[in-house]
This record gives sequence, structure tokens and C-alpha cells, in this order.
Amino acid sequence: MNIMVKSKEELLQQLSDCVFEMDDENAADVAKDYIAAGYEALDGVLKGLVDGMNRAGQMYEEEEYFVTDLLVCSDAMYNGLDVLREHLPQETAEGAVNYKCVIGVVEGDTHDIGKNLVRIMLETAGFEMYDLGRDVPLQSFVEKAKDVDAQLICLSTLMTTTMPGMKEVVDILVKEGIRDKVKVMIGGGPLSQAYCNQINADGYAVNATGAVTVAKQLVGMA
Amino acid sequence: MDSKERLLNALKGVKTDRSPCICPGGMMNMVVTALMEKADIHWPEAHTDPIKMAGLAKAVYDYGCFENYGVPFCMTIEAEQLGAVVDLGSTVYEPHVTGYALEDLSQWNKLPHLDPYSNRANVVLDAIKILKEQADKIPIIGNLSGPVSVATSLIEPVVYYKALRRRKEEAHAFMKFVTEGLISFGRAQIEAGADVIAISDPSGTGEILGPRLFEEYVVTYINQLIDGLREGNPEIPMIVHICGRMHKVYEPLNKLRADAHSFDSIVSIKESKKMLPGKTMMGNVSTFALEFADADRIRLMTQKVMAEGSDIIAPACGLGTKSSLENIQAMLNAVQGK
Repeated sequence: MNIMVKSKEELLQQLSDCVFEMDDENAADVAKDYIAAGYEALDGVLKGLVDGMNRAGQMYEEEEYFVTDLLVCSDAMYNGLDVLREHLPQETAEGAVNYKCVIGVVEGDTHDIGKNLVRIMLETAGFEMYDLGRDVPLQSFVEKAKDVDAQLICLSTLMTTTMPGMKEVVDILVKEGIRDKVKVMIGGGPLSQAYCNQINADGYAVNATGAVTVAKQLVGMA
Repeated sequence: MDSKERLLNALKGVKTDRSPCICPGGMMNMVVTALMEKADIHWPEAHTDPIKMAGLAKAVYDYGCFENYGVPFCMTIEAEQLGAVVDLGSTVYEPHVTGYALEDLSQWNKLPHLDPYSNRANVVLDAIKILKEQADKIPIIGNLSGPVSVATSLIEPVVYYKALRRRKEEAHAFMKFVTEGLISFGRAQIEAGADVIAISDPSGTGEILGPRLFEEYVVTYINQLIDGLREGNPEIPMIVHICGRMHKVYEPLNKLRADAHSFDSIVSIKESKKMLPGKTMMGNVSTFALEFADADRIRLMTQKVMAEGSDIIAPACGLGTKSSLENIQAMLNAVQGK
């Protein structure tokens, strides 16, 4: 029997395509083939799966993909990631910063689809995410950020009624004397850059892909 | 021309002396904390007591906010009747779903049928009956949450949205079940005396679903809902509100059989009138501005929406509870030419 071993580039392209083309059923198998062929897991993640998610994000920017598409893409990504994860190098390089982010929908609001998408995209971009869910008591954001030593808090709401909660989180950070240690990014339907300025938050993102750009800038991620 | 005749005419595209200024209720909430204080009727009690619910709906008209009555003041009743857990909120926060009824979509056929004659659904019906007795010149708007929004209150939205693509057969069976429940609640509201039905489906946006799924699920099931309500009530006018940008979904939107459309304030009335010929447009003074801008600005924004050709003047997505009475009254005064 003659088994053709696929080239690394070919398998990376397949991993990327599985994510981009929403082929959540085959992503794990391709990842297994990739590992079996002896290629580096980290490349499989970054140049394969994450590349596919970035291509999907690009289509979302161009309004060819929609939120539901990105959700299925992310399923494919996570299926592949489950296989590759255990083969990743255990130790991070010396001096490497671990970017941590606390995210949630502020108290009084339960609309979390946008928040979930931002969590996925930030995770894809390399952030370690702490998702507090929806209808989150304001103090909890600050507590969690302190606990895990997060550099970023992301607040989301779709309702005007619950927007003032975002300002309260900023105020709590000031009161606790850690405002300079944590950046605050906000997003959601009724928000704007003007509101971000008004409540002294650090960044506002229009959508999930924008959130990645803003978050990286805020924490100084290359 | 009285408020009821004016609104019913406007909804059917018949000439009126001027545009009506309304806010339906339901997702498009029209009650603010300042009004609760004036009327001395408060949330969350008004969500569970028909006399208080009717009293607060009446106060909206009496204190010069809007030219209609409308109930309820939330979009959680349908989901609660189907098994979701609801936190009734406070004087500021609206009721919201805190626990889903389903872990997995495959369990949908174990859900109870929506009973319109019990619990908070019945509170709404009783409130409509009380309002009906008190006025025949003021239109009563009954509100329903749209099928996709109810569905995403029953099951984790990410699971649901993925199922729309991956498990179509189950997803359609579930949507049909939800829609049938909504038809029974809507019919009961009409029977109790609602003059208009407003359907709000904020979770069924084109931005989330894209045009293909929007047509397959939002248009299909809102139309089933509309048809179900018109059976036996062929004249009942219907308003449909959908959130978010619309430019990708005008084509499927044209297939909706609603009388009037209501959109977010980011949607231009001028553009939507062009893209949806023959439809009545309602809206769309910015909800954000109504809460955070001043009365002068609201007057200008209202005049702009009127100039763009909105047929029924209304806040784009209802009101935030901290909006001032002054701002709301500025909107009504601008419409009334005061």
C-alpha cells in the first residue's frame, strides 16, 4: 500500500479551510492527520485553524459572513484545537506576556450573542479569556480582574437601560486604585466612541473583529 | 380625529390629519422610572398585577407621553409560559430571562404548550380588558415577542443559532411549536380587546442570521404568526419590529405580511421607504438620544424623522427606563405641532 503523506503546507491549508468553510465535522480528523505526520502543533493552530478564523473574520467584515456563520466556523476551530492542544509546547518562552481578559454582559441585560462572538475572536487572537456570562453584577468584573491579574475588562450591553453599569465598573476600578492596571473596552448596539469617552473607558469596538484590533492596541499586544 | 382612528388609519395607509405618536410596549417599552413615580405604580409589581399594569399603561397616555395604551412592559412572558426562568427586575431593569427551559434542542417536544389564560399571560389579558372598559378613543396595542426571540429565550442562543444551520428539521419543528404558542397568546389578546398587535423580534436580525437564514426562519415564522392571528381577525393591524441594520435583508423583508415596519434608528426611514414600497413606516427617534440627549435635540430629531416620511412617529427601540418625561413629551409635542 502506498500512503501519500501530505505536505505540511497542504495540511495547514486544509485546517484553515475546515474552519473557513464551516466544516466542523472534519476539522478534528485533519488535525489528527497533521499531528500523525509529525508537524508542529503550534503552527497547526496559528497557521491553520487561526488563519481560517481570521479569513472568516474578514468575510464578516465584508458582510459576506454573518454571526451564525462565525459560530459554526468557531466550532470547527475548537474541534481542531481539542486535538492539537495536548501537543502544544508546555512552557511559554521566557518573558512572554500572558494576556488575560475578563468579559461579560453587564447587570440587567442578558443579550450575550455579541459577547460570545467577541470572546471567541479574542481567544483566537491569543487572549486568555475569563467569561463571566450575562447579567453580571458590576463588582464581579473587578473582583475577577484582580483575581486573575487581567489587563483587560470587556463590557457588553445591547440596552440603554444597562449602559450606566459600564461607567460604574470604571468607577469601581478607580475607587479600588487599580484603574491604571486594567484597560476597559466596551461594545454593544447602543454604544459609541462618544459614550466611551464620556465614561472614561479606554476603547470602543463596533463589532467582533474590531474588538480584536482595539483589544490588542489597548494591551500593547504585537 | 381621535387617537385610535388616527393610528388605525395610519397603519392601513389611509389619510390622517397628522402622524400619530406612539410606543407599543413589549420589547418597545414605553414606561420610564419617572412615570412610575408620578403614577405611584411601580415595577416589578406592575408586571404581575393587572390593575397596576393597566394603571401604568393608562398613565403613559394621561401624562402626555404617547397616544396609545400598550401592554405588557417586557418580552419575557411567552418564554416564561414555556418554561424559562425569569427575573422580574426592578424599577430600572426590565424583566429578563435568567434560566433556559432547554438544554438541548431535541427536548423541545417536552415543553408545555403556551397557555394564554394563566400566570402573567393572563395578567396581560385582564389588563387589556380593564383598559378596554376605560376608553374607546385610545388604541390598545397588544405585544408579542417574535418567534426567534422567544426561541432564544428558551435555549442558549449559540446552540440555537448553530442548529438553524446544522439541525434544520428539529429547528423548524421547534419554531412551529413556538409560533403556535404565540398565535394562541395573540388571539387571546385580540379577544380581550387589543386593537393592534405589535410583534418584536430583536434576536432575529439580519446581522446575526444573514439574508438566507433571515428568510428561512424570521420571515417564515412571523408570517405564520401573522396569518394565524388574521384567521378570524382579518382586519387586525400588525406592526413588526426588527433590530439592527437592514440593508442586507430588504429583499426577504418585502415578503413579510405586516402592515407596518419598525426599525432601529441606524436605519434611514427614507431608504427603508424606498426599499419597502407600499409599507407603512414607524419610528425611529433614537432610543439612545431619548435617554441621553436634551429636549431641544429630541424636538429636532423628531422633526427630522417626520420630514423623512415616517408615517407613525415612535422611539426606535422603545425607551430606556431612565429617559426623562421632558424628553418624551418633547417628542409628542413636536408631532402635535406644539
